[in-house]
Amino acid sequence: MLKLLSVLTFLTLTLPFLTHSFSPDHPTDRRILVLLDDLALKSSHSLFFKSLQSRGFELDFKLADDPKISLQRYGLYSYDALILFSPSVDRFGGSIDLAAILDFVDSGHDLIIAADTNASDLIRQIAVECGVDFDEDPAAMVIDHTSYAVSDTEGDHTVIASDDFIKSDVILGSKKIEAPVLFQGIGHTVNSENSLVLKVLSASPSAYSANPKSKLSNPPSLTGSAISLVSVVQARNNARVLISGSLSLFSDRFFRSKVQKAGSPKKHEKSANEQFLTELSKWVFHERGHLKAVNVRHHKVGEADEPAIYRINDDLEYSVEIYEWHGKSWEPYVADDVQVQFYMMSPYVLKTLSTDQKGSYFTAFKVPDVYGVFQFKVEYQRLGYTSLSLSKQIPVRPFRHNEYERFIPAAYPYYGAAFSMMAGFFVFTVVHLYSK
Amino acid sequence: MGKASTSSTTKDALALFNTLRSAYSATPTSLKIIDLYVGFAVSTALIQVVYMAIVGSFPFNSFLSGVLSCTGTAVLAVCLRIQVNKENKEFKDLAPERAFADFVLCNLVLHLVIMNFLG
Repeated sequence: MLKLLSVLTFLTLTLPFLTHSFSPDHPTDRRILVLLDDLALKSSHSLFFKSLQSRGFELDFKLADDPKISLQRYGLYSYDALILFSPSVDRFGGSIDLAAILDFVDSGHDLIIAADTNASDLIRQIAVECGVDFDEDPAAMVIDHTSYAVSDTEGDHTVIASDDFIKSDVILGSKKIEAPVLFQGIGHTVNSENSLVLKVLSASPSAYSANPKSKLSNPPSLTGSAISLVSVVQARNNARVLISGSLSLFSDRFFRSKVQKAGSPKKHEKSANEQFLTELSKWVFHERGHLKAVNVRHHKVGEADEPAIYRINDDLEYSVEIYEWHGKSWEPYVADDVQVQFYMMSPYVLKTLSTDQKGSYFTAFKVPDVYGVFQFKVEYQRLGYTSLSLSKQIPVRPFRHNEYERFIPAAYPYYGAAFSMMAGFFVFTVVHLYSK
Repeated sequence: MGKASTSSTTKDALALFNTLRSAYSATPTSLKIIDLYVGFAVSTALIQVVYMAIVGSFPFNSFLSGVLSCTGTAVLAVCLRIQVNKENKEFKDLAPERAFADFVLCNLVLHLVIMNFLG
């Protein structure tokens, strides 16, 4: 009995270690590795970590230069996500390096990077690989003389009260963020050719990036709303990355701080950092905006079974169910813009699917008058949602020889002509032979 | 002047027509029967073309087979007429029975194809 109990304990203790990246089949069991510069960050940023823990994540705190850290064990990832709160680290300990982190993201895992002033080259390189360029000047900070946070002690206007959010309910939650977000750190720009990077929090048009301690002699290289304060990346494999230019954005001090934006009479009791980061981390860790499609079905109208082949001009029905992950369960996804293509090199049919509001999408259409190997395709890419890309191959054949229409009324004169020619031939033969 | 020339043209045309008719009346009866047969085939083809222009070309294979059956018949009949005409020296060695047998065989093949294509 005791033996059995110990085996059970062993199993329950080791099972969480065998984790995978977020997948529709294993959406829970999430372990996060948190790499810190200094273990003091654990208490100074405790509110952010607590909100993650309260949502069921297991956090594993390690110093960034701990020689024992590794993301993989025996070829399997031991973590689902990585949080880098170590802006000044030059080299990670253990087996983690730039390539290991990129492999981690390439295999579908999530990543949060917080940089800060004097961010190391390593952190900058990771950001560059994600499509984000931090200001090259190591001492530069984002300064804003019009939308700074009013404060009694700090006078250099580097604590910015920003409220220029991305307009997306998926990324930032459906509840409107009322108060501004406090930010103190470095700015970055996103590569405009990279469509996977989104600016979530932008600086105001009057912001610029410079060293606050020295006099501004040259025009700053980064200015205005081109500066991004917080950006997210959703890779093609649906891995999500959050990049912030400020580590104090996540701090308890900013979470609890009162905030008044310069020039605005309204005083907020609490900054929006907590709401902003909670909602954003929900998105990054796939608690929102992760879609899955199941039960892709098609059949002829009036039949239930999926045929192996269609004939041209058949009437068919297509249906698919789409669900969104809500942290604990799959909920029906409701939208009116899901489209299906009947595709052979180009879409022959493009139809918007109707929905029953319970996650089921369906439509009916006629197979075009063209035969060949077609595909049912659903390519659904919406801001903030993981991309759905379904395709199902189906051949379409022409009419069989005995399936053509016979005895068409419009063709009776032609039939009559052909038969009268035969009769005429017979009569002519008789007349020709006996008319001597 | 104009009036005189018009009347003279009419007269010429009439004269030409009369000559043709008197010449044609000398044609043997068997050839006249063939001519009648060709006329029948060609007029049936024309009726179908007019019908297709009105109704549309939907069963196009049927239209093609109907018209081709008529034109094929007409062409074969003309070929028969050339071969059985006694005044045509080119085929004087060919027996009219042999020409007729060829005609029958070709017609059988033609109608077999037409039946397959009529659809």
